[in-house]
Amino acid sequence: MTGLTRVPAAIRIAVVLVLFGALPPLLGRTLPDLLTAPRAQTLSYGAAFAAAALALNLLMGYAGQISLGHFALVGVGAFATGLTASPLRLGLPFLLAVPIAAAAGALVAFVLGLPALRLRGMYLAIATIAFSFAMVESVFRISGLTGGSGGIDIPRPWFGDFELLQEHDYLAVALLLLAGLWLIDRNVTRTRLGRAFQAIRADEDMAQAYGIDIVRYKLLAFVLSGAFAGVAGAMYGALFLGANAENFELRFSLLLVIVVVVGGLGSRGGVVTAALMFAVLPRLLSAIRGWELIVGGALLMYTVARHPGGFPEAIAEAREKKAIKERERSGEPEPALPTLPDMPRPSGLAERPREAAGRPLLSVRDVSVAFGGLQAVDGASLDVPRGKIVGLIGPNGAGKTTLFNAVSGLVKPQSGTVELLGRDVTNLAPHARAAAGMGRTFQLIGLAKDLSVTENLLLAQHSVAGYTAPEALAWTGRTPKVERELRERASEAVHALGFERYAHTPVKFLSHGQQRIVELGCVLVTAPELVMLDEPSAGMSPGAAENLAVRLADVRDALGRTVLLIEHNIPLVLDLCDDLYVLDAGRVIASGPAREVAALPEVVGAYLGETVLV
Amino acid sequence: MTPLTLGVVYGAIYGLIAVGIVLIYRGTKVVSFAQGEIGTFSLYLAWLLTTERGLPWWVGASAAILGATAIGVGFEFFVVRRMVHANRLSIAVATIGLASLLAAVELKLWGVTPRHLRAPVGGIGVKVGSVYVTPTQIISLVVLAGLGIGLALLLRGTDFGLGITAAADDPTAVRLVGVRLSHVSMFTWGAGAALASIAALLLEPTITVFAPDYAGRLFVAGMVAALVGGLSSLQGAFAGGIVVGVIEAYVRQRTLTSDVPGLTTVAMFALILVVLLVRPRGLLGKAAA
Repeated sequence: MTGLTRVPAAIRIAVVLVLFGALPPLLGRTLPDLLTAPRAQTLSYGAAFAAAALALNLLMGYAGQISLGHFALVGVGAFATGLTASPLRLGLPFLLAVPIAAAAGALVAFVLGLPALRLRGMYLAIATIAFSFAMVESVFRISGLTGGSGGIDIPRPWFGDFELLQEHDYLAVALLLLAGLWLIDRNVTRTRLGRAFQAIRADEDMAQAYGIDIVRYKLLAFVLSGAFAGVAGAMYGALFLGANAENFELRFSLLLVIVVVVGGLGSRGGVVTAALMFAVLPRLLSAIRGWELIVGGALLMYTVARHPGGFPEAIAEAREKKAIKERERSGEPEPALPTLPDMPRPSGLAERPREAAGRPLLSVRDVSVAFGGLQAVDGASLDVPRGKIVGLIGPNGAGKTTLFNAVSGLVKPQSGTVELLGRDVTNLAPHARAAAGMGRTFQLIGLAKDLSVTENLLLAQHSVAGYTAPEALAWTGRTPKVERELRERASEAVHALGFERYAHTPVKFLSHGQQRIVELGCVLVTAPELVMLDEPSAGMSPGAAENLAVRLADVRDALGRTVLLIEHNIPLVLDLCDDLYVLDAGRVIASGPAREVAALPEVVGAYLGETVLV
Repeated sequence: MTPLTLGVVYGAIYGLIAVGIVLIYRGTKVVSFAQGEIGTFSLYLAWLLTTERGLPWWVGASAAILGATAIGVGFEFFVVRRMVHANRLSIAVATIGLASLLAAVELKLWGVTPRHLRAPVGGIGVKVGSVYVTPTQIISLVVLAGLGIGLALLLRGTDFGLGITAAADDPTAVRLVGVRLSHVSMFTWGAGAALASIAALLLEPTITVFAPDYAGRLFVAGMVAALVGGLSSLQGAFAGGIVVGVIEAYVRQRTLTSDVPGLTTVAMFALILVVLLVRPRGLLGKAAA
């Protein structure tokens, strides 16, 4: 794999094109009995179905947005191909019809994606089913547009006088298109596009904290998926020389869901393999015809119940567990207590303004947040000066995390302002605040748990990856260079953390304390001005918490960062913090130098109780 | 008058489908996409006994309801029970597997030929406005009302019923009042499937034939009805069914001469979007999920 990636992309693509282009005629000549016309047609059908499966996999497997009506988008592509390529309609060349089909699919998917910004899970599932019915029963039957119940004629691709009526020739085109989608899909997953999708799937709050604009990336996932589906539609339409509404009924969409889930959500190879098996095998072997849905339905239930990640992930997990066991058995010592990455600013990071002299780096003024009737934060103000560690303590339910969320933008305060580096960020979305220099952790750990340590470190660098979506899709422009840099930084960070042996281990297999360290590494890897930590020592052993305190002091002293910290571990707070704010029932009841504040009688009464300090 | 009558008649059918969806949603926070196919499958059981063997309607109907219950309980035992910690949406995806499996088995065993089931009561029924309301349709309304009241009493008035409602939100509390979660779960899926079968039995005479996959559209209307009513409210399912039925009947009447076919499905899609975006908790639902 690594050897292959060293070959320039253009050469690799050329080799694949030649292979795929040469293979069918080659097979046709040497194995004419095996690759009969009906079989070639079946394989083309498999390729089209695999393309549709890639489309759904992009949306559901990467971005975690469910669609139960995806074949309606395939239909959009097929009808768009007919409207543009059919001699009775516009009569444009097939090579032009394919991008138009992709654009049509993308456009309709974009419109479908708009409500999806507000709808999640079950509701989105229902809405997409209703979408499928509306398209199949109504839009696809408008006679002026789609030829009504008779459907629309779609020509085979032609080049000059040569129309690809031979099934072998068409198979070559279908495989080429599928290979093209595969390469684009691969560029999605090896750039920040795919990582942003996966972050959204894992946890939207976390995604935003790493600077990912979830509205933009959700819509992008719909648009890309729609474009893929549109191409699949063109492949279908040209294969069967036409299309009508019934070809895109709900049951095909549901079969696609089966294929994508059984093949493994997010696994490109698994999904294409499953699609080919479900589409091709029953047509080649008449004995199993009609059984595919019975087996498929059963496999779907088995998969979601036992291996929600599909078979590829189940295999990978088994391998990982075995490796962990072997490590334990061999008695290898656990890695030494980790350090935190001290790395130069990423090259993609624009120089940030500095706050004016004497002004705090973060300034929160009179912020109030209410949930229904509950006043969670009530006129809280705090200042965090550059280069200091400021602690925020208070009893459970005092509103500490809510105030954190108001600062990082996840909740909108009813009143008050938040200033970062002298700039009013009160109305900025969370991802924009992250890009402006805020990094934060979460009580329940803000990592994509299914991804490896390295992958998490890559995804954390979202906002410093300075290339555009088209550049990423084509793997051109700045993309290869930037990605190489990101990977270098990620691997430096892995070394700094002392997590080499876990570099490719999914985060969910790490202990809670280890996950905490990885999360800290993810936050620090983009050199944020302000590091906000929500109970970093929660769930850590006393030894690990002590180590954490040393590391956090390093963050301030060695890395020169500024820290705002929520913490219940009072000795750690007193050890570490320069200033302290005490929150009770949403109000700041005391503030000042840490040791002075902790000694105030009202603080002892409200929060510390009878605990004897110092 | 006519669209209103037709709307109420169809609305009762949609309401019946919705009641099953609501019951399962209340107990598990899962929308079951298999309700339509469980209903259809159970119709084949009734058809085997009545049309094919000449047994009385009630025998076939009982077999259908029992068969559906068995499917629901089996699904709970073999799939849902193994997914205690899974995301709710994964269970919904599993119901798609069940639906596909059932549809494929129907196709394998009985083919695509549409089948016909005798109505429970003969006769052309009562004329309301310019349409006849058949005895079965009247029964549907009565059954819907009866089921609604009965289920409401069960859910509100008994520990077990409260357990169903609380199971998805607060399993610990359910265990503490001495109700076994596994019983609640099994009951929810079994009863949900039985309701799907009852709905299918009562709506088949109105549609007159059935075949694999045929319930898809009706099921979507039922799902919209449940959603309009708020997904977790039984009265909402009833009200939602009527709303959906009437809207559909009016749209159909208004667009009979339109060049664009199937506008009722577009209306359903629009209705879903409006409800979900403007009032996600529906007409009578409690809180947005």
